[in-house]
Amino acid sequence: MRTSEIASLPVVTLAGDDVAQVKDVVFSADGGAVAGFTLAGRGLLSGPLKQGLSWSNVVGLGPDAVMIADDGALEPVDTVVAAAASSSAGAGSGGNVLGDRVLTDTGSDLGKVSDVVIEYDNADGGPCDVVGYEIEASDALKASSSKGNKHTRLLLPLPDTLAVSSEHVMVPSSAEGFVSDDLAGFGAAVQAFRTQLRGGS
Amino acid sequence: MQWWGWVIVALVVVVAVAAALVAVQAKRRRGGVIVGGPGPADAAGPTDTSGGLP
Repeated sequence: MRTSEIASLPVVTLAGDDVAQVKDVVFSADGGAVAGFTLAGRGLLSGPLKQGLSWSNVVGLGPDAVMIADDGALEPVDTVVAAAASSSAGAGSGGNVLGDRVLTDTGSDLGKVSDVVIEYDNADGGPCDVVGYEIEASDALKASSSKGNKHTRLLLPLPDTLAVSSEHVMVPSSAEGFVSDDLAGFGAAVQAFRTQLRGGS
Repeated sequence: MQWWGWVIVALVVVVAVAAALVAVQAKRRRGGVIVGGPGPADAAGPTDTSGGLP
């Protein structure tokens, strides 16, 4: 699922109350997982809310709504963002990943982040894993990838842990070999990439 | 200027203000993907790939 599909989803309680809608997806850079959401009001004229939603308070995430137990699941947005940053130094937090340049550890520019791909299984209720980026491929990546000749937007798998600053996101250079243009087959590419990383360490 | 000229000017101003408000509101509500903080790889600095060379 792409994060762009989550933006604007209504946040609904199990009692059926429509309490907010998703604005931003917040993820912890060190864990590679979604930490929560910032929220906006449901009305046309309402703006961002001072309340956010931690991932631990999400009961279910589907294509049409984010489900929570009740409106007590909402907490101050600063708490949600701070919790995502609690295990790290704190510098550079709050930056939007969309539009960041993707660099490999060997210094190659792969393109610009246009979306983030996440994986979540409603059945096990576990973490919401950030598994990849959708990128607008750079000329260098298009030249080196057979898929890039036809598609300017490619899916790039990510390792279990990430390095993200307010300007760049870093990926291992081996990720370049696992780019995909198909979301349906992307899960297999992520698994193969992560298996290779674990085998190489 | 005729009276209807002022009416047209007033309508143009109202439409312009409404369009600006809609644009500002759309920007306020636009979502993104934000990072809670940098990962340990950022704090650790660059990876040493020199192979031990000075």
